Amino acid sequence: MTTQHVLANPGGVPTTKRSRYASMSRSKVALVLLSKYGTLLAMALMLLIFGFAVPNGAFFNSDNLINIINQSSLTAIIASGLTIVLVVGEFDLSIGYVASLAGVLVTGLVAKQGLPLVLSIIVTLLIGTGIGTVNGLVVTKARVNAVVATLGVGTVVVGMSYGYTAGSPIVQVPDSFFQLTLGKTLGLPNPIWLMIIILFLLWVILNRTPLGQRIQAVGGNLHAARLAGIRTDRVKITTFAIAGLCAAITGVLLSSLLGSGTAAAADSYLMDSFAAVFLGSATLRDGEFHIVGTLIGVLIVNVGFNGLSQLGTPVFWQYVFKGGILVIAVALSTVARRYAKT
Amino acid sequence: MEVDSLESVSHRPLATPSRTSSQTPWLEVRDLAKQFGGVAALKDVSLSIRRGAVHGLVGANGAGKSTLIRCLAGVIAPDSGQILIENREVKILDPHAATDLGLAFIHQEVSLVPSFNVLRNMAIGIEPETHFGIIDWRSTRRRAEQVHERLGMHFSLNARTDELSTAEQWLVLIGRALMRDAVMIAMDEPTASLSAVEAERVHAVVRDLRNDNVAVVYVSHRLDEVLDLCDDITVFRDGACVLTTTRGNITKPELVRAIVGGDIERLPKDDAHAHGPVVLDVRDVSDRKLLRNVSFQVHEGEVLGLAGLVGSGRTELANIIYGEAKATSGEIYLDGKKTHFRSAAAGVAAGIGLVPEERRSQAVFLDRSIGFNITIASLGASIVSRMLPLLKRRHSNSRALKSAQQVGVNTTDMNMLTGSLSGGNQQKVVIARWITEKPKLLILDEPSRGVDVGARNEIHRVIRELAAQGTAVIAISSDSDELVDLCDRVLVMSEGKITAELIGSKITLENIVSMSFNRKVD
Repeated sequence: MTTQHVLANPGGVPTTKRSRYASMSRSKVALVLLSKYGTLLAMALMLLIFGFAVPNGAFFNSDNLINIINQSSLTAIIASGLTIVLVVGEFDLSIGYVASLAGVLVTGLVAKQGLPLVLSIIVTLLIGTGIGTVNGLVVTKARVNAVVATLGVGTVVVGMSYGYTAGSPIVQVPDSFFQLTLGKTLGLPNPIWLMIIILFLLWVILNRTPLGQRIQAVGGNLHAARLAGIRTDRVKITTFAIAGLCAAITGVLLSSLLGSGTAAAADSYLMDSFAAVFLGSATLRDGEFHIVGTLIGVLIVNVGFNGLSQLGTPVFWQYVFKGGILVIAVALSTVARRYAKT
Repeated sequence: MEVDSLESVSHRPLATPSRTSSQTPWLEVRDLAKQFGGVAALKDVSLSIRRGAVHGLVGANGAGKSTLIRCLAGVIAPDSGQILIENREVKILDPHAATDLGLAFIHQEVSLVPSFNVLRNMAIGIEPETHFGIIDWRSTRRRAEQVHERLGMHFSLNARTDELSTAEQWLVLIGRALMRDAVMIAMDEPTASLSAVEAERVHAVVRDLRNDNVAVVYVSHRLDEVLDLCDDITVFRDGACVLTTTRGNITKPELVRAIVGGDIERLPKDDAHAHGPVVLDVRDVSDRKLLRNVSFQVHEGEVLGLAGLVGSGRTELANIIYGEAKATSGEIYLDGKKTHFRSAAAGVAAGIGLVPEERRSQAVFLDRSIGFNITIASLGASIVSRMLPLLKRRHSNSRALKSAQQVGVNTTDMNMLTGSLSGGNQQKVVIARWITEKPKLLILDEPSRGVDVGARNEIHRVIRELAAQGTAVIAISSDSDELVDLCDRVLVMSEGKITAELIGSKITLENIVSMSFNRKVD
């Protein structure tokens, strides 16, 4: 899509990427490339190192690679929803709790209310979307700061989870529910397919629909967007609803994977999502949040985790790695971008 | 090391005023050159700046004025050339160094902390400390009071900055420069957003500074003011100094020719302008604060000007018509139908377009492409179908290109970042946003603010063309000259009311200005 625009250029102003690089010194080109592709480079390096370091080629075989992607898919889905909210310029701290609630609801509606599985999944996803909508309404109509609003709503959601489970996990789950995540289609685990479909849809929405353009406009310049005739509140509420839906999907998949509905099961996805999204914002683009970046962010974290655990590294090092790579990658890309501009 | 310089700054007495408009330059620029990505932004520019004189820099957007200023301010480094102060070569590596050399810069966007009072804003960065490392407010205040008196500020040092008018805030910035004993003060379009009265006050302050032996560098697009105020005038075109002259040695047409590099044709005034049917009918509109029973009509194909001082209610009126603000009473009819807009989006949906007053904060998405900026208000036109709301990229980009060419944007690359365009071209992009949809009513708030003469004429041409195709246009402008050029009819507003209507040959600079001040003078 970027190769289409080599049109006549009467002003002589450099416009194409090629000419932009051509006029820069070599060190500047290196900095620009580092700021955009640094995270990809880090991932390639990790793949290379683990490929050699992990004994018996246990890292670089297709089973392990598919396993890494499979483990990434749940985080990728919830983090992509969060990406949309961040693109619109807001924040959502409730997604982890919404995912946890979705996990107990989807199992509980079958076990306690006796709903058919499919119906229970649909109801759960609707409730997730609804909570997202409530977030959006509180942020736009009541004008509560998004951090406070989603923290508040999220805390209420925690309460709902505990209230619904009454403290004990829901374990009577139909076998077909396990198949949702354990089953394979065309040789690939179902979560991978779901991730591909959902991320593709979100990518299309963000980049190829009027809604996506409006989301980007509102995030780019709220005032200008409103004066250009965009219903900014509606756009924001929609993004929160999307984030809620994605969180609910991840929650449902997690409880299928665990085979139970537990009140705090998915809470940690909040931090994982933020880490992935910000890692992704340092990838390919200049500090913008975008779906492809988020996917790469999730993969980097999981490649690191997988490789380190196969090397038998103690668990605490895995967390040091996770926090460290986030801070270093984002800082490097920001610094490189700044120097490239001067 | 920093403390040292601060101490010395704070305890130095104010420069004693002495009128010595010397002919010897204080600051000299020799063969300064700067390239941006292969494009020469400055081509071997040389000029000299004297103390006790106002040096006007004029030129089209992107002609090199601001690049020169940024080199002096230490924001960017020149590729070659020298800067000399009192015949000594200096290297200005960062803004801090510029301050230490006695250079002060006042940019177009006011850079004050809104919640600070005047004193704190003036003292930012130079707070002297007592022996305990605590800010010495007593000596700071004493110093600020001297500056306060010197500038004749009629507001308190304790006033909150966000409660001041734009002109007063500008005065605070001058005060900040004087607190640092600036020898040279460069101002970037200080009067761009000011009314005529406020601009006159700015001019008075600039003259005082000159009499105090300060070197003033004055960047402006308002040529009358440059001709009147500046002792030396340097004209920039395409990165080079094309003309240096002194006051009285150049006329306005000559100056315009130097800036544009040729003649520009004045738009012919259509005296026999035929009025189409009424598009907008405003009846007795009032709002909570300012507007009182405003009534007027705009016809198809008409360009209606709204004149008046800043704060006379013009922008508030536009916001109500557009749906961005609410009226407390009165009715508005668009094409004969009563409107009930609850948001700007409703106004747009009904066929109104707005080119807002503040380009950067209200109109443009700077880090998005030109295509994005043009199509954002009319996305529905480029989707496959309502059932499948996917954008046809090629279609929307070619649509954007068509609009861009219609308004004369100087590039055909719709993927180029809008932020890399000059101000004039950004403004054209904002106008292009509306012309695809052929709005019934287009409201332009300060259509050519901060835009050079050439781009301004092009913008006026586009507005006239749109009107000729049947769009009703409301143009709000503090630049009375612009209204004379552009409008078929001008309404003058004052203190929330329409106080005069000027039609055809009655639209003159003198009439607009005298009507605008009418009520204030009484």
